[in-house]
Amino acid sequence: MNESDASDNANQSVSTRFYHLTQRHRHWFFIAPALLILLAVVIYPILFSTGVSLFRVTFASQSRPFVGLQNFERMLSNDDFLQSAFNTLYYVVFSVSGSFALGFAAALLFRRVTAGKELLRLILIIPITMAPIVVGLMWNWMLDPLFGLVNWFLGLIGIPGQTMLAQASTARITVVLVDIWQWYPLVFLILEAGMATLPRAPYESARLEGVPSWLIFRRITLPMLRPVILVALLLRTVDAFRTFDIVRVMTDGGPHLTTETLSLYLYRTAFTFSKLSRAAAGSILMLLVIGLISAIMFRYLYREVELG
Amino acid sequence: MRVPKSERILAYVILITMASLVLAPVLAGSITAFKPQIIWVSSPPTWIFEPTLENFEFVFFTRKGWLYLRNSLIISIGSVALALILGVPAAYAFARFRFRGSKALMQWLISLRMIPPIVVGLPFYAMFLNLERTFNIGLRDTYPGLIITYQTFLLPLVIWMMRGYFADLPAAMEESAMVEGYTRLGALLRVVLPVVWPGIVATAILNFIFAWNEFFLALILAGNRTSTLPMTAGTYIVRTRVEWGNLFAVNLIIMAPVIVLTIILRQQLVKGLTFGILE
Repeated sequence: MNESDASDNANQSVSTRFYHLTQRHRHWFFIAPALLILLAVVIYPILFSTGVSLFRVTFASQSRPFVGLQNFERMLSNDDFLQSAFNTLYYVVFSVSGSFALGFAAALLFRRVTAGKELLRLILIIPITMAPIVVGLMWNWMLDPLFGLVNWFLGLIGIPGQTMLAQASTARITVVLVDIWQWYPLVFLILEAGMATLPRAPYESARLEGVPSWLIFRRITLPMLRPVILVALLLRTVDAFRTFDIVRVMTDGGPHLTTETLSLYLYRTAFTFSKLSRAAAGSILMLLVIGLISAIMFRYLYREVELG
Repeated sequence: MRVPKSERILAYVILITMASLVLAPVLAGSITAFKPQIIWVSSPPTWIFEPTLENFEFVFFTRKGWLYLRNSLIISIGSVALALILGVPAAYAFARFRFRGSKALMQWLISLRMIPPIVVGLPFYAMFLNLERTFNIGLRDTYPGLIITYQTFLLPLVIWMMRGYFADLPAAMEESAMVEGYTRLGALLRVVLPVVWPGIVATAILNFIFAWNEFFLALILAGNRTSTLPMTAGTYIVRTRVEWGNLFAVNLIIMAPVIVLTIILRQQLVKGLTFGILE
């Protein structure tokens, strides 16, 4: 149907108007199904959870009195919750900075080699694609105090067997190191892809003028890579913040809650101790914090790149 | 880039060390899956032995591993299929139509990537329980229940990845098809989809990997009937004794298909992992 034909014919005005209406909103035919599902599986659960957090709901009892913000207060004054919040912060800070430093270093070094790049990249991709639960179980075996390869290796250079996951002083950093092992390749992969798209001209002229390489890095590489760096940091931050799988199989939060993350603590609160509404309050707090952090990072990112 | 020889050698040494540290635990662990039970734990580790498949046999048949493999396949393939059916048309609309709010909607879709799974997992459990009690609709421990739940992380990714692939194609393609009498939907199905096929495959593979490796939502919402492979891996650790050979057999069953798929996908991997933000 053609627009000018339609407007010439007054008899068709109703159907034409309908046609134009559907044309103007045709995108909704394509988008609506996906959008409805997302509303049902993301937005509704979050609203539901917010509702639950304002009542006292347990799996055991049918009575559900309204308690206002009491659940939030209880959570914020709960030592175990605060401990797991602190641990989560620890994971975010050390896992993100560790994986970022290693991944960035690997990406910079990668530009300096020629042969075997494809193979090196392929090997480094492996941890990213492994299920975190498999990574955790594998490192449990590596770190076993009796027959684990790490202790066997330490034994060869004269260090006695360690129970790194069972000691409060070493468990947290050990889990973080395993997390870094799994995810620094992701930072590497993202930054390496970003570097491959950088223009060559600024580098060549800088080299011709004899600019030292650390200055080239600071003045050329770093500014041009900024959006890529932000994306890598953003992804690592939100993933470290939600850490669950690895800790669940490696230490299950112990010893003495030293490795307990927020996800793990809230899971236990809801499903082991059946305190559903407190866990809901905690998860809403978690959502607010990660929402704030990623909103700030997104703002910086939007300044760098045009999204959507 | 021209690099001094000494610098290049240093780069090789460090990168090869990194690659070895990545590969060593994976390989050392994986060969345990082929060790007979008496040498699962031995110190120093046994490197030379007669490889056996008895661990796989035990895991697969005695411990019903084939059932969990089947569950994992049904849930992963099912949820990816649903995400594609819902997400591909939406991605097409985002790539082709300019409309108010399209940008905000796309940004909202990325923001879903930031939501910790506990935030949706927790209410899902309670909602499923409510549905069961009130309407007698059982979704807990069922395939549809998990397939729907997995849309929280699959659907946004499908839309973002596919939007990129659609945007790479010239709009003239469907326009000329529509001049020839195809409707918009007909042009999408008959003309565009056959060309964008490799993008769909890449999207499907990456999403399959995410669904396949998923542990947290399955832990909350699956049960005896729908346990997935990652859920069963942990069951080989008992306080008193860890069945390492069997455990690594399960690990290998989880890892092997993903590694094969990754090799197929490797050119598209970064684009997918970063939601194609960095175009």
